[in-house]
Amino acid sequence: MKARKLLSVSMAAAAALLTMSATAMAEEEPVTIKVFSNNPDRTADQGLVEQTIFDAYMEEHPNVTIEVEALDDEAYKTKFKAYAAGSEMPDLVSVWGQPGFIDEVIDAGVLAELNPEDFADYGFLEGSLDGFSGDGKLYGLARNTDVIVVYYNAKMFEDNGWEVPATYEEFLTLADTINEAGFIPVAMDGGDKWPLYIYLYDLMNKKDGTDLMQKTLDAIASGDYSDLAFIEAADMLREAAERGVFQIGFETTDYGTAQNLFTNGQAAMYYMGSWDMSMATNMDIPDEIRENIRCFNLPVNGENADPLALTAWNGGGYSVTENSANKEAALDLLKYMFLPENWTRIAWENGVCMSAQDFSQFATGNETEVQKQLMDMVAEATAISGTSIGDLGTSEYKTVCEDTVQQLAIGSITTEEFWAGLSALAGK
Amino acid sequence: MQKAYSNKKIIFTLIAPGLLMFVFAILAPICLSVYYGFTDFSGLGAYQFIGFNNYKELFGDRNFWMSLRNSLLLAIGFICIQHPLAIITAALLDRMGKRAEGFFRTVYFLPNVISVAVIAYMWKFIYNPNFGLLNKMASALGFSGKTNWLGSGMAIWSVLIVLIWHGFGWGMLIYYTGIKNIDPVLYEAAAIDGADNKQTFLKITFPLMMPVIKINVTLAIISALKQMETVYLLTNGGPGNETQFLANYLYKQAFSSFRYGYGNSISVIFVIVCILATQVLNKIFPKEE
Amino acid sequence: MEKKRHFTPGKIVMWIILAVFAVIQIFPLIWLVNHSLANNNEMFTSGILVMPETIRWDNYVTAFVDGHFLLYLRNSLLVNILAVVLVLLFSVMMAFACTRMHWKLSGVVMGLILMGMMIPIHATLLPNYIIYDKLRLTDTLWALLIPYVAFSLPQGLFLTSGFMRSIPKEIEEAAVIDGCGIYRVIGVIIFPMLKTSLVTVAIMTFLNNWNEFMMAMTYLSSPTWKTLPFSVLEFTGIYASNYAVQFAVMALTAAPMVIVYLCLSKYITEGVAMGAVKG
Repeated sequence: MKARKLLSVSMAAAAALLTMSATAMAEEEPVTIKVFSNNPDRTADQGLVEQTIFDAYMEEHPNVTIEVEALDDEAYKTKFKAYAAGSEMPDLVSVWGQPGFIDEVIDAGVLAELNPEDFADYGFLEGSLDGFSGDGKLYGLARNTDVIVVYYNAKMFEDNGWEVPATYEEFLTLADTINEAGFIPVAMDGGDKWPLYIYLYDLMNKKDGTDLMQKTLDAIASGDYSDLAFIEAADMLREAAERGVFQIGFETTDYGTAQNLFTNGQAAMYYMGSWDMSMATNMDIPDEIRENIRCFNLPVNGENADPLALTAWNGGGYSVTENSANKEAALDLLKYMFLPENWTRIAWENGVCMSAQDFSQFATGNETEVQKQLMDMVAEATAISGTSIGDLGTSEYKTVCEDTVQQLAIGSITTEEFWAGLSALAGK
Repeated sequence: MQKAYSNKKIIFTLIAPGLLMFVFAILAPICLSVYYGFTDFSGLGAYQFIGFNNYKELFGDRNFWMSLRNSLLLAIGFICIQHPLAIITAALLDRMGKRAEGFFRTVYFLPNVISVAVIAYMWKFIYNPNFGLLNKMASALGFSGKTNWLGSGMAIWSVLIVLIWHGFGWGMLIYYTGIKNIDPVLYEAAAIDGADNKQTFLKITFPLMMPVIKINVTLAIISALKQMETVYLLTNGGPGNETQFLANYLYKQAFSSFRYGYGNSISVIFVIVCILATQVLNKIFPKEE
Repeated sequence: MEKKRHFTPGKIVMWIILAVFAVIQIFPLIWLVNHSLANNNEMFTSGILVMPETIRWDNYVTAFVDGHFLLYLRNSLLVNILAVVLVLLFSVMMAFACTRMHWKLSGVVMGLILMGMMIPIHATLLPNYIIYDKLRLTDTLWALLIPYVAFSLPQGLFLTSGFMRSIPKEIEEAAVIDGCGIYRVIGVIIFPMLKTSLVTVAIMTFLNNWNEFMMAMTYLSSPTWKTLPFSVLEFTGIYASNYAVQFAVMALTAAPMVIVYLCLSKYITEGVAMGAVKG
């Protein structure tokens, strides 16, 4: 609720600014822009940021109506493909700047090409738009910088005398200690499967992060996964699961449940992306937990290990569709959304997420602790992993990778079988 | 009169609306499925004809066989667990007073009127290993309460329990009606001959119920093959593909893996399997009368 | 009668068994309603059932408002009632043509349609999406109504033709000889005679389609025609981490049918039983 209030104040200021510029364009033909979004909750987190911007835009352009259809990720992707196969695509859509999602969509000519020069002074971080490009052309804009971290409950740590681990060994030992104390060490969203391959990729990245993305792309193309970093990381994932680092039944735990285990004090840690920093401003979470949410970068030691390497990528974003009846209007809305004082500022000031643009200019010093930690992590990072393994192949590759990484984690297949299964998809 | 009964125009008007619906919503899509089943269509853009490649791949696809195995397990579960329980309950219910009968019948059937969406989500919570109803009950009874109900090895049985639970009332009701239709004179005769409850059940109720049982077994197998909604929401085929079913698998292939052509080839085989199963069952259980 | 009132040990055992089954069938639903009145945190801290600190009726307000309860209920009722009416109409028409009238292809047509009972709905999801999209039927009422009618028709035809065979021909034949047209015969003589049987077909059709959501999910996108299961499906995304609200929406969407069922339980169970034993 507080987040909402904060937001409305900042929006009121923005709206006041906007109405001044708006008067010029009244009396235009009514336009309805259909938006298809993967943020079903319009009253919190990114959905709120989206909706706030849309509302402001409609205020400014009285002739424009924005209709939002929103579904959560899995349902969204399914429906997106159905739309893409059909003829009535919405005008502005959520996309993921990852080959597993966007390549086939770009190939099919579903997305409209954007002019990179339009966005030259938008402050997009270097490389953040690479995933949204194909053949040197730009097809979408990234909305976030996503970093995978381990959130932890600082109060629980302090009360029990637990320390933030500095090495992977310490992390595992800590998990044992937490288990003994009767808590869940790490809440893991294994039901959605992708957090598991992110964990795998996180380990790969930190064990030997040099040019990991290229190395992975090569492996996907050739089917050769013999690189030691790959093999070891898979073993480590299996070991962690076997040792009880994650909760019982992590493979069937969905996103909301994993988060709930953490925010209701059942789990001491929670493995999730930086967008969940919004937990720290979510008033539905009990005070003593919300105020004590902190995070650390999963530590991995070893010969080539890099403690400051981050597993981070620019996942979600937006595109205008090629066959949109209101292409110009949708494009205008997209440009408006990504004005730094819109998406980037609103998202940051409300503790929702880090945008893919330069968000540090909006630092106020009033950020939540976890926000500050994340900002520092990004500032200090020596290497950034980029898109992770499951999202680097085709969508078939993604499906297989998801299913088998889950099987690997629960031990129903071996490391060898896991890599062999992915090898079999080479060249497909 | 003969003439009125063979008026072509009238026959046509009577048949046309229903037939049209049927052709449009069932026959045409199946023909389209056959067509796409021979292509490598991804759902987007251009595609090529690839002959029987999809079908060749399908027969080598572990998940396809896993889906069939799961349907079989489910059918066995229905037949060996749900139906015996339903028959026994129905037989017991038949002996209760009128009011009790009405009450229990209403209660048993209640889950059937609740949407599968509600049922599946509710059970997802019941099964949750960390705070679900089942594990809370287990720990209240002194067990560890740490069972991973939807985990590997357990999941298919947990799915089965939900389906048995949900369909129990329906099965019970059918058997109950079957028993009610048995001529009471037979029971009276048995009572005069001094037969006890068990004998009456085995010698009279059970044999006379055979036709109803046969129909229900057929229905159970067909519904096991057609299973989708509950699994889609409860496990979506996971962990891995352990609780995969044909309908869910074709959906996943078409919409998650972007393999629309392959998905359609599964549809085609799916229809064939269902029709074959019905034919085989009709052979095994020939219609009496 | 006096004798039957006695509580013999056998009877007590029977009572216990039946009661246990009753509890198993009903308890999860009680649990659902119970937790829908608590706050989210109590799910994690409570025992099997919860005595909420404050009863959270606001969960239901959220479910009612954000779940578009009235709109989706209206849509569900509309599409299901239309489907039932059409299925009844078409079934009786076809059953009459196939069982009473004389034409060569009657057996073939009947067989073809009855085969529809074996065809899984889900096998048509993908191609139907393409067909409806080409015809611009996606996101309209037709996208649900057509398949709902089509997939209920085989069963409807099967049941009505069964019932029709069991009613005597003499009355209608007399009417036809008196010069009464076939349409009138069906409307004035057949329909009233089949009344109780049609209740069965109506109930079965209604129950089957009321629960359907796969097609609805695939063919619909805007809220205009979405049906009641969508309230539940949407809440798992919108309120991913607020279970109490999710429970409330589940209880709320289940309520209309449960209430109707409790009022008409006798007719519904008898209708289903009649259809199922026949089928």
